[in-house]
Amino acid sequence: MGFMDKLKGAFGKPPAKEVAKKRLQLILKYDRAGLPPNAVEAVKEAILKALEEFPFIDTSGVNIHITESENTKGKIEIEVPVKNG
Amino acid sequence: MADKVICITSGKGGVGKSTVTANVATALAMKGYKVVAIDADIGLRNLDLVLGLENRIVYDIVHVVEGVVPPEKALVKDKRTKNLYLLPAAQTKDKSAVKPEDLVKIVEELRDKFDFIFIDSPAGIEEGFKTAVTPADTIIVVANPEMASIRDADRVVGLCEAMQKPEPKLVINRLDPKKVARGDMLDVEDVLQVLNLDLLGVVPEDKNMVSYINRGEPAVLFEESIAGKELRNIAERLLGKDVPIPRWTYSESFLDKLKKLFGSE
Ligand SMILES: Nc1ncnc2c1ncn2[C@@H]1O[C@H](COP(=O)(O)OP(=O)(O)O)[C@@H](O)[C@H]1O
Ligand SMILES: [Mg+2]
Repeated sequence: MGFMDKLKGAFGKPPAKEVAKKRLQLILKYDRAGLPPNAVEAVKEAILKALEEFPFIDTSGVNIHITESENTKGKIEIEVPVKNG
Repeated sequence: MADKVICITSGKGGVGKSTVTANVATALAMKGYKVVAIDADIGLRNLDLVLGLENRIVYDIVHVVEGVVPPEKALVKDKRTKNLYLLPAAQTKDKSAVKPEDLVKIVEELRDKFDFIFIDSPAGIEEGFKTAVTPADTIIVVANPEMASIRDADRVVGLCEAMQKPEPKLVINRLDPKKVARGDMLDVEDVLQVLNLDLLGVVPEDKNMVSYINRGEPAVLFEESIAGKELRNIAERLLGKDVPIPRWTYSESFLDKLKKLFGSE
C-alpha cells in the first residue's frame, strides 16, 4: 500500500464500522419487510411505466419507500403527485 | 422467578451459544443456585465438551423422550461445581427426535427441582430452534459484532415475536476492544442501533477461550479471564443485580491515525 493510499485510508474513508452499520440498517429494513433488496426499485420502475399514460401525474415526484405495518410484515408506500395547473 | 427457563439462541452457528450457556450456568451454580443446562443441539452435541463432561454421559435427551429413563436419571452431575447438572443431547439422532412438546414436558418435570433451566439451542431457524425456544420464558440472543451474525440475530428476533415469545435479550460476544477502538468493528452502540434489544452483556474476545474449552473448564472458573468476568456479570444481571455493562466504543485518536499511517500497527 502506497503512502497516499494510507493517507486516504486514515483520513478519507469512513471507518469500516460505519459502513457496516449503514449496510445492516438497510439489509434489516428489507429482511423485516420480507422483501429482496432490489424490490423497491423494481416496483418503482413498473409503477412509473404504468403512470406514463396519465398526463395529469407528475412522474418526477413519485415517491416510494418501505414502512412498518401493523398487520403485514411490511408495507410499500407510494406517493403519486398530481401535476399543478 | 420469571427468568427460570432461559433459552440461548443465535440463528448463526459458532457465535458462542454453548460457551455462554456453560459459563452462565456454572456462574449461577457457583453462587449456590441449582442449575441444569439442557443441550438441545441434537446430533451435534457439544455442551458436554465445554463443561468437560463427555466421559460421564450414560443417557441423553432422546432416551428421555423415548421413555427409557426419566429426565432426572439422565442428568450428568458436574465434576467441579456443586448444584450444576447437564442434560446431554444425543449425538446420533437428528433434530426431529425431540419435538417442542417433548422439551416442554421435560422442562415441566424439572421445573420444581431447579432454580434455573438453561436450554442451549442449535444454530438455524428451523425445527430444532423452535423446539429449544418453545419452553423458554426468557430468550437470550447471542450475536458477534459482525454483519452475518447480526442479520441472523434479527431473523431470530422476528421469529420469537411470531411465536409470541417475550422479546429476546442481547448478549454481544467476541467484541474485540482493539478493533472497536480502531473503527474496524461495530461497537456496542452501533449494534444496539441496528438491533434495538435490551442488552444483557458484552463479552470481549478472549484469546484464552480456546484453551479453556480444550481443557473442558469454563472461563468463569478463572479470575484472570476477561470473558469470564463479564460472563459472571451476566449471571448477576439475570439475578436482577444492576452491574454496569462495559461499553467499548470507537475512539480513534489523531495519534492512532498517524500510527496506522506510518504502519506501526
Ligand atoms: N468470548 C470469546 N472469545 C474468544 N473465543 C470465543 C469466545 N466465545 C466463543 N469463542 C469461541 O468460538 C467458538 C464457538 O463457540 P460455541 O460456544 O461453540 O458457539 P455455538 O454454540 O454458538 O456454535 C469456540 O471455539 C469458542 O472457543
Ligand atoms: Mg453450540
